[in-house]
Amino acid sequence: MTFSLNLAFSDLLLLLPEIFLTCWLCVVLIVDFSLPRVPKERLAYLSVAGLVVTLGCLAWFDMNHVSGTLFGNMFVLDRMAIFFKIVILGATILVILASIEYVNRFTLFRGEYYCLVVMSALGMMFMVSANDLLSVFVSLEFATLGFYVLVSYLRDDLASNEGGLKFFILGVLAAGLLAYGISLVYGETGKLVFSDMASAQPTPGLIIGFLLIFAALGFKVGAVPFHSWIPDTYHGAPTPVTTFLSIAPKAAAFAILLRIFLVALGTFKPIWVVLLVAVSILSMTYANIVAIAQRNIKRLLAYSGIAQVGNVLIGLAAGTKMGNDAILFYLLAYLFANIGAFAVVIAVSQAIGTDEIEDYRGLSRRSPFLAFAMLLFLLSLAGVPPLAGFIGKLYIFVAAIKEGLYTLIVVGLINIVISMYYYLIVVKQMYINEPIDPSPIAISGPMKTVIYVGLAGTLVIGIYPQPFTDWVVSATLMFANFVGPSVTIIPPGASLGG
Amino acid sequence: MLEELTAGFPILSCILFLPVAGAVVLWLFDEEDMVRTSALTIALVELALSVFVLLRFVPESAAMQFTERVQWIPALGISYHLAVDGISVLFVGLTAFLTVLVVVYSWDTIRHQVKLYMMCLLALETTTMGVFVSLDLILFFVFWELMLIPSYFLIKLWGGGAERHYAALKFVLYTLLGSVFMLVGIALLDINYHQWALLHHTEQAYSFDLLDLLRVPIPVSQQLVIFWLMFLGFAFKAPVFPFHTWLPDALLEGPIGMAVVLAGLKLGTFGFIRFSIPLLPDASKSETVVMVVVGLGLCAILYGAWMALVQADFRRLLAYSSVSHLGFVVVGLFALNYQGLQGSLLTMINLGFSTAGLFFIAGFLYSRQQTTDLSAFGGMAKQVPLLATFFLIIGLASIGLPGTNGFVGEFLILLGAFKAKWWFGAVAVLGVIFGAAYFLWYYERSMFGPLGAAVKVTMNDLQPREKIIAVSLSVMILWIGLYPSPFLRIMNGSIQALVDRVQQETKVSLQDNRTGRGY
Repeated sequence: MTFSLNLAFSDLLLLLPEIFLTCWLCVVLIVDFSLPRVPKERLAYLSVAGLVVTLGCLAWFDMNHVSGTLFGNMFVLDRMAIFFKIVILGATILVILASIEYVNRFTLFRGEYYCLVVMSALGMMFMVSANDLLSVFVSLEFATLGFYVLVSYLRDDLASNEGGLKFFILGVLAAGLLAYGISLVYGETGKLVFSDMASAQPTPGLIIGFLLIFAALGFKVGAVPFHSWIPDTYHGAPTPVTTFLSIAPKAAAFAILLRIFLVALGTFKPIWVVLLVAVSILSMTYANIVAIAQRNIKRLLAYSGIAQVGNVLIGLAAGTKMGNDAILFYLLAYLFANIGAFAVVIAVSQAIGTDEIEDYRGLSRRSPFLAFAMLLFLLSLAGVPPLAGFIGKLYIFVAAIKEGLYTLIVVGLINIVISMYYYLIVVKQMYINEPIDPSPIAISGPMKTVIYVGLAGTLVIGIYPQPFTDWVVSATLMFANFVGPSVTIIPPGASLGG
Repeated sequence: MLEELTAGFPILSCILFLPVAGAVVLWLFDEEDMVRTSALTIALVELALSVFVLLRFVPESAAMQFTERVQWIPALGISYHLAVDGISVLFVGLTAFLTVLVVVYSWDTIRHQVKLYMMCLLALETTTMGVFVSLDLILFFVFWELMLIPSYFLIKLWGGGAERHYAALKFVLYTLLGSVFMLVGIALLDINYHQWALLHHTEQAYSFDLLDLLRVPIPVSQQLVIFWLMFLGFAFKAPVFPFHTWLPDALLEGPIGMAVVLAGLKLGTFGFIRFSIPLLPDASKSETVVMVVVGLGLCAILYGAWMALVQADFRRLLAYSSVSHLGFVVVGLFALNYQGLQGSLLTMINLGFSTAGLFFIAGFLYSRQQTTDLSAFGGMAKQVPLLATFFLIIGLASIGLPGTNGFVGEFLILLGAFKAKWWFGAVAVLGVIFGAAYFLWYYERSMFGPLGAAVKVTMNDLQPREKIIAVSLSVMILWIGLYPSPFLRIMNGSIQALVDRVQQETKVSLQDNRTGRGY
């Protein structure tokens, strides 16, 4: 394969957000070590400023339909990539705002924390633009590198170190699987770019190669049976990092999954539907049942996150344009609810110093605002109307029913009931039980902003979802042509002619 | 039922959102009396609006009236579509009426967290109204699910029983379990519409709108699947035997106000008459469905009545009598003839006065003895003559004595049941007899006979607020009992249209099958 490196300036425009953010990252680093007296909060706001400018640039791209490919199709900027980049940047901004107070707990390297967060975000921006297997590998490792450090940031905390180690070992294993899978696929087809593989024949080597790639991405999104690192890592990591980890890498990995399954493997749909159905059912059922027994809110949210991934996989298993729309919409709804829920967790742990669900008792007396916000976020995660999560679930279920995936739907719906149970456990602690220590809880300004954004997103997307559905529908327009033959599963009870 | 009359003014939206807006306003007040007065004012304004709708409603018409329709989520075909017809308009009035009474009742019986209680109550009113006036199935589902949240808090925070946490959780999870199946049914209806829309190149690719869905033929086998899915949703909520086990717990452990709403407003059976029967007429009248559903209804009548016979606690007795009454409603609905449907609809309204009324009576008894168990009562008629009188009036309405509202409804149901199959009616009649037995037995032992050991001699008779509740309920009971025609006239048009639809639909779907439309 040959690269034509005669890039025009207009081509580099497509990379403008990444280039800008890289430069900005250097600026933040330089400010950090050259002006050591500057309070570290300023660095946070400086990073946020850079991210906001990047976000603005992407919004401008989206409005003007800027798109194209670079480096011999390795890098693609289409509307879906822009959508995911906006989601990732939005999540990064909120996470940085939610971190400001928490970072004071770190003994050393407070400034570098923000740089690492922005660096991971940069890696994920490349992930969602990756259009061939090599750029998938490179960008995925780039994004994960920052997380390896971030997870074990609490140097003196045993849980943080344990979580970091588990994450590292399993992350490296996943990287190995990914590299092995890529080599098999390349060996079988001689191709690396997704759209070139569309005509490949399903040889055993190719299938094994893609299974390995799927396993590696399964680690990133945290689907059962690749989830084993999630609870400990989420539990041990500093809570803002957990927040970041529970949203952005998942979204980025789903962008890659969408491209692989619908572009590269569009013709094999009947084969991979079975795989996705199985993984989805496993993820939802296992995570929801285990979540019931959790005593720690971070672990509870970790398992709830695994179950949510199972829900997103339903949309992927539908394998249609509508399924993709639903996935994008769902991720958007999940973003706000999950960041909001974690922001409440951070605020509470800042005040009372624990993450045990038991210690949430009487939160509604101590801080009605936090308790009410948590209630809405949990209900949105559970899919109660008219919150964003409900519309997301509905969207996914309609897409799947259209494809006749009835087993998956029934399992998914029963799981909603199970998940309601453990969300209600938290609600019960907050609203019904009396607090041991009734002193009110103070919330810092940036944290309040994050929670308000989460609330606004959860409510607005739920009550007036039209602009967002329009957005996701236009973001996946290019899939309208790529999708392979739809599986013909006869819906039960449908009369076959007459 | 397909034509629509629009109103110039979005009065249904006002009715729908006034209580929840009022709940937000209540947040601002701190003084408890201020909260109570404002809640009462909001509930009264809501009642006035509902009465206005009832007065302006064109009777003897099958049209959807006061229609409001705006696109909500066009990508999925979800719209904000409100309207009332003869089937739903009475429930709007009933909901507003009962909420006023509950606010009055809660005036001095709820002592702690008054503000939150009133807010939950008003939020519950909005969601209940939403269920009755939504014509879009997703909008309907939204309110249906939302109702769980204020209910959960009402049972849990203000319930009197020790097991209220368990009862609240059971209530939420049971109802949720049913409604997720209903959601699949709703989605299947939407997909069916989508396939039809693709064939006929309609403007809209997806729709959850009841009126759109009614226009589209559904293959009979598909109808059966959807019917059972939706049946689960409605049966859990109603609750139809054998899905009723959450009801006694919720009614016994929850506060009286919640019990009044849960037992007084028959949302589940409303779902049958609003959605299942008109949307799925072929499934509804198929032999298996009628046999199974009416069979469950008959079981419920007998089981509920027998269980009620042996209960010593009045609230538990009422819970089982609710199960029994719901059996009547279900039998009437699936008799699928004019009398049966009309009787069922009227009975649903009647139960809103009589069962809810008996729960108020239970509340009056509870506030005097701190329990509703029989052992705390006996020979009280002399101490509390007014209470005993109204207890009798409302109770006789609940067992269907001629002259009360219960008689009209039950009589029509029995007529419909006999017309459908003679033995439907024959079994149902037994329920009437048991019904009289369990009520009169409890009444006799609590009000007459020797004075109970635990009864205080200085027991107060009805207080002014209690009198208001008892009198207004009795007025409604006697009004419907003696002069039901205004109520029947409101229903007639819609019921007739529904009966026509059920009778004629076979031909249409047969034609459909002949032309080879399918999957």
